[in-house]
Amino acid sequence: MPDPADPLILIIEDDAETAAAVAAIARGLGTRVALAATLAEGLAAARAGDPAVIVLDRMLPGGDGIAALAALRAGGSTALVLVLSALGRAANRVEGLERGADDYLAKPFEPDELRARLRALLRRGQMQVLDNDLIAFGDVEIRLKARTVHVGTRHVPVSPREFALVVHFARHAGQVVTRMQLLETVWNLHFDPQTNVVDVHVGRLRRKLEQAAGRPLILTARGEGYVFFPVPAVEGA
Amino acid sequence: MSLPRATLRLAALVAAAVAVLSLAGMALQYRLVADRLHAGQVALLAADMEGLGALYDQRRIIALRQAIDYRLAAGGPGLLLLLGKQGQVLAGNLAEWPGGVPRTAAGFTPEGAAVFTVDGARHLGVARDLPGGFALLVAHPLAAADATLAALRRGIAGIALAMLAAGAAVGWLAARRIMARIRAINALADRVAAGDLDARLPGPRAGDEFGLLETHVHAMLDRIGNLNRATHRLSDTIAHELRTPLNRMLQKLTRIAGQETVVDDLRAEMRATIRIFDSLLDISRAEADAGAGGLVPVDLSALAAEVWDLYEPLAEDRGLTPAAEIAPDLWILGDRTLIAQALANLLDNAVKFCRPGDALRLTLRAEGGRQVLALADTGPGMPADLRATALDRFTRAGRDRAVAGHGLGLALVRAIAVRHGARLELPPVAQGFAVEIGWPPLPPEARG
Repeated sequence: MPDPADPLILIIEDDAETAAAVAAIARGLGTRVALAATLAEGLAAARAGDPAVIVLDRMLPGGDGIAALAALRAGGSTALVLVLSALGRAANRVEGLERGADDYLAKPFEPDELRARLRALLRRGQMQVLDNDLIAFGDVEIRLKARTVHVGTRHVPVSPREFALVVHFARHAGQVVTRMQLLETVWNLHFDPQTNVVDVHVGRLRRKLEQAAGRPLILTARGEGYVFFPVPAVEGA
Repeated sequence: MSLPRATLRLAALVAAAVAVLSLAGMALQYRLVADRLHAGQVALLAADMEGLGALYDQRRIIALRQAIDYRLAAGGPGLLLLLGKQGQVLAGNLAEWPGGVPRTAAGFTPEGAAVFTVDGARHLGVARDLPGGFALLVAHPLAAADATLAALRRGIAGIALAMLAAGAAVGWLAARRIMARIRAINALADRVAAGDLDARLPGPRAGDEFGLLETHVHAMLDRIGNLNRATHRLSDTIAHELRTPLNRMLQKLTRIAGQETVVDDLRAEMRATIRIFDSLLDISRAEADAGAGGLVPVDLSALAAEVWDLYEPLAEDRGLTPAAEIAPDLWILGDRTLIAQALANLLDNAVKFCRPGDALRLTLRAEGGRQVLALADTGPGMPADLRATALDRFTRAGRDRAVAGHGLGLALVRAIAVRHGARLELPPVAQGFAVEIGWPPLPPEARG
């Protein structure tokens, strides 16, 4: 049974099939779900329901979802917005993010990819402000200013890009992080390369951390990405 | 440049035509004048002969001698000579019989008049054998007629030169006027080719053929503009109408249990399908947007370094020897995502086709007024028969059938280069494959 204290995900989507698929994924994350099939309905629901995350289609009856973002913000909504659109070329994604979307996923989407992104957004909504220098998980310590990674007393030498990677993993510890998310946030590149370039980078980082810790810290999630498990089964900051 | 040459050619043609026509006219006139002068000389000779003939009819040789002496004493022009039976001079102003005049017995007429020269002066004369072994020569000087004709020739030469100059000037002006209007239309075509589909010629159209041509060009451009807008709408519609059903298929795949391999294969196929139409849409959008603005200052050095950083470990893992030499702080006006996509496509290809041990080298430098981004490898290179079509859509080498790909990578790179007004070249190399993109640089003061 949905608990009114659970976060609400509002899905503004005119394709019933897609809306149902998104709703199923959202419920799987333990959230309440509201559906709207037109832009006007969606805006009204956003005002009424105070959703934590809005999944917004672009080509909706009533207009482009992106254009409604400003109206949404003007209405006082603090919801994080994930645009889920068939306008999925790199240029569309960049445009969407520039115009205020918090994330942008192209249709057709992998359910795992959407799940990972929704989880990241939900967590971002609840995230406590971390110590702005140290991120620590048990014996794994990441110092942001010094840009160093330690496991226990062992220093793990990482390249600047690997450091950015490990910080991103640390901020999403315990969650599935997809290759596309990494490419977008760590490299700021919004297209889908033909080869899995990200795997090589993650692989190198994974080997370095595993060597230092004596256990695997980055696991490959079935399907679409990786999970950072600094402390087995326990997550903390 | 061919434009001034065309003007020159047209001017020269007009000048030559004018000169040839007037020369022909003047030559005809010269001929008439020359004929007329000759006829006058012949008429003079005829009058002389007739007079001498009348005297001869009365008193034969004696009368001729008296008439000749009388004429010479009166100081008349021309030559007269009467010879006796043994060739001795009976009367006249010549010491001996001149050569070059045929002697006939045609009587006292100007028939058989011929030109001959005595002491450097040209004369027209007739020579006659008279009964009893006598000979008579009557001639008139041609100096006056020759002088007239010489003056006429000088006049004609002068006029011909003047006509040539005037023709050249008129031709130049006329050609300039025509060429200026053609140049305006050419300039318009250049702007359109460079991407400015909304470019038009200013002002009203003239009512002549050029005005008509301009009107036609404008109508054509309007039509191209409409088609272009329709293409933009169509690509968005295609994206939407194809992605939505593909999305449903993908969502339904999650409900299939127990056949993970098949489901994963289907997923991969669908992703490849989407990548193909994404690339096609990217290509047509980049081509349609070429020269259309909307670009921002981009630090090409930083961006190239970032994309290189993304691919370098992959290249190392595949056993290649990657090396980059990126000159700092080279800026261009561009679209960051597109440029990164172009470079990523090139690097994808290199990593895909090179064998362990091959070298892969990225360089960025300012050269010849361009920011030249060059990627070269020592891999298998490109089959020679493919070079001509390498940048077209769906070009793939037969040997690459086994390698994943759709033959859109280089086509997209080219479209992105065109979008940025950059020059894409595939310089020939002894071993491997090389590609160079020369981006128009952004001066430091324009970086904002």
